[in-house]
This record gives sequence, structure tokens and C-alpha cells, in this order.
Amino acid sequence: MHIAEGFLPAPHALGWTLVAAPFVVHGARCVVKEVREHPESTLLLGAAGAFTFVLSAIKLPSVTGSSSHPTGTGLGAVLFRPPVMALLGTIVLLFQALLLAHGGLTTLGANAFSMAVVGPWVGYGAYRLVKRCGGGLLPAVFGAMALSDLATYVTTALQLALAFPDAESGFLGAAAKFLGVFAVTQVPLAIGEGLLGVLLFRVLTVNARPELVRLGVLRPDPERAEP
Amino acid sequence: MTGLAVDDAAWVSAWRLRSPADKLLLSVGLVLCALLLPVWPGSLLVGLTAVVLALGPARVPARTFGRAVRVPLAFIALGALTTVVQVGSGGFGWAPDAAARAGGLVGHAVAGSAAVLLLATTTPMSDLLPALARLRVPAAVIEVASVTYRMLFVLLTSLSTIREAQTARMGHSGVRASYRSSGMLAAAVLTRSWDRARRLQDGLAGRGMEAGLRVLPEALPSSRRFVAGTVAGLAALAAVSVVA
Repeated sequence: MHIAEGFLPAPHALGWTLVAAPFVVHGARCVVKEVREHPESTLLLGAAGAFTFVLSAIKLPSVTGSSSHPTGTGLGAVLFRPPVMALLGTIVLLFQALLLAHGGLTTLGANAFSMAVVGPWVGYGAYRLVKRCGGGLLPAVFGAMALSDLATYVTTALQLALAFPDAESGFLGAAAKFLGVFAVTQVPLAIGEGLLGVLLFRVLTVNARPELVRLGVLRPDPERAEP
Repeated sequence: MTGLAVDDAAWVSAWRLRSPADKLLLSVGLVLCALLLPVWPGSLLVGLTAVVLALGPARVPARTFGRAVRVPLAFIALGALTTVVQVGSGGFGWAPDAAARAGGLVGHAVAGSAAVLLLATTTPMSDLLPALARLRVPAAVIEVASVTYRMLFVLLTSLSTIREAQTARMGHSGVRASYRSSGMLAAAVLTRSWDRARRLQDGLAGRGMEAGLRVLPEALPSSRRFVAGTVAGLAALAAVSVVA
């Protein structure tokens, strides 16, 4: 769920762009450093961006009868860490605005803050927390993907409430309205995205173990280690 | 054909060979007009200008443009409706100036979306990304974005091929099966993207790539007439909206 072009008043559009900018610039610095040290990372990071974009083309059957698509930033945060996701997420949002007419240019800052900053950080936090509490990889991935999706939607609803407070009940009333309206599609989607993450990682831990070890998601398995 | 209608339109548009900076000036100018000018008549004029330019001189297929404009409509309608419904002690009700507020929101948003689409349907991303270098975006970031653009079509093709195969094998016959298949689909596309990146890397390393994927950008010269027309048109649009 992205805020469409022109929907936010100019001061809000500018404000959210300024709020998101430090995170995206920090992400860009991380990517520039990474690429300088390992030029081959350009291709891997590009592939990660393309995958995040393509993930939004996977339709998940939703409880409400419609189908919705995952945001994929929780997965990206687990695999590539949130700072990198801040940049990749923003690139993906720009592509979605210009290739799919999802989102917009003046609302890019607001959308980047919810989807590329808050979502990945909340997802990554949930992932680390579950793992620290002794949960396995799959519960941690479920938490990361479901909560990053939920956090993105809650942030978007709050951004809209801040821009359009209710005439009578103010910001809180507006927040309740927007959270309620979008909950119909977003809460089932968050659970669906969490489930998708679990199914995805079950396949990855079998088929792409070396990659997961290299990314630091899995520890090297001494029994399987090559001599 | 790449599978994304807007991208296809951009490659065959009559404005494809215009300078991306010129088109960026026009579209961003229109986007800002849609955002800042009063909705009547500003947004209406911006929307009309974007549609007329896209379907007229830029020769974007009306079907593609129409379909793309419809994409954000569901969000815009739902968002605008939620904004003007009031929650008070007496339950739900319409805000006092509901129709005007909702109309204003829809006007700004539709006009802005049309202006963005004018850029999207006339300029392929591979023209637009090098133009970002002028805005002091680091080269490494532009390269990552370029690789993303070039790779996403391959992955989209993989995605639809695998999904077709899954559907043919009853992989999407029920909700449970559909989730299982979607998980495998995402995993397959992810591992393919890694594999492709690695193979590209091997190929480029064999050709001596040390730092950066340098390509010769296509020379798309700026047109003075186009820029002058853009500036004059935007100024006229702003003047009419402010005076009216």
C-alpha cells in the first residue's frame, strides 16, 4: 500500500522526504563502501533489488477473497540488513512509481520512510529478538516478515492521519479510521507474508544453504562443511 | 516486449529520443503544479495537459495510459473517502465540507499521477538513471539501480514461467497449495537471481571488469524549443490557476 502521487499536501510530502533522507543517504553510503571494497557486490545488490521488485508481483490468496502482494522488505532486511534495504527499498519504490504507477514522486519520501525504513528496521528487530529468545530461524523469519509488513501499514496510516486529522476527533480519530480501513486487507496480508517467508526459508535452507551462510543468516554447519 | 506495459510504451514512444532532462523538467514541473496550485482549475489543467501531451505528440497508446492511470484510483478513492468521514461522539458522519475536500484530494492525486505517467510512458528507466548522476547521486547507486532494472525483466519472466508450470500441475488449486507454491516460487526466483548475478560477475570478470560497469550513454541532446515551450507552458498554467 503506497500513498499515491499528489495525495499528501506539499509540507507533508517535503517533511517526510527530509525524515527519510538520512536513512536513505546512510544506506547509499553503505552501498558505495561495499561496492568500493567488493566491486562484484554491484551485481548481487542489483539482483536483490530486482528480487524485491519481483516479489511484489507474487499474488497471495487473501482471506478477504481478494489477493494482495507482499512488500518483501522484511525478507530483504533479514538477508541484507536494514541500512542496505533503506536504499534498495527506495530504488524499488521509484521503479514501482515509474513502471507500475504505484506510489509517486512527491510521496516517495513518505513511502520510503514507511516501507524502506520503518518496515525493515521493525522486521529486523523482530528477527533478532526472536532469535535471542531462543526461537529458531523459521519463527524469527515469520516475525520479521509479518511485523515489517504490519509496521509499514501502521506507519502509512499514521502518515495519512497526520496529514488529514479528523475535524472532530483530531489525529487520534483519523488514525483509528485509516488503521481500520486498511486493516481489512493489510492484517491478513501481514500474516500471509509471514507464512510465505517461512515456506520460502524452508526451501532456501535446503537449496541455498551456502548463500545463507555467506549472508550470515545461517551458521556454517560443521558436519556439512566441505573438507 | 518486456511484460510491463508502461515500460513497453516508453521504448516505442515518439518522445523516446528526447533528452531525459527535458522530459524530467516537464513532468516534475507538472507534478509540482498539481501539488501546489489550487485544485480548480490547476489540477484539471495539469491532468489535461499530461493526457493531451502523452496521447498526442508522445503517441502513447491510450489503452496503456488509461490502464496505468487506473492503478492508483482504488487507493485514491478509499483514502479520500476515509478522510471525509468524520468520527465523533455521535458515531460516523460526513465532514462539513466533505464533497469539496474529497474532490480536491482526488483532483490533486489524479493530476499528479497523470503527470508522473507522462514521464514514465515516454522515458525508459535506463535513460532516466544516468540523468540522476547530475543530481549528485553516487555512481555506485546508479549502477545498482541499473542492474536492478536490467535484471527485473528476466526475473519477471522466470516468475510467470514457473507460476504457469505450477498452475498446470494444480499448484494453485487451493489456498494451502497456493501458499506452498508461492513459497517455492519466491525461493526459486531468489536463487535464480543470485545465480544470474554470479554468472554475470564471472562473465564480466573474464572481460576485465575491475571497477564499475562503464557503458557509453546514448547521446540524447536537449531541445531548446522543448525547454522554452515547457517553461512558457508551465508559467501560463500557473498564472491561469492563480488568477482564476
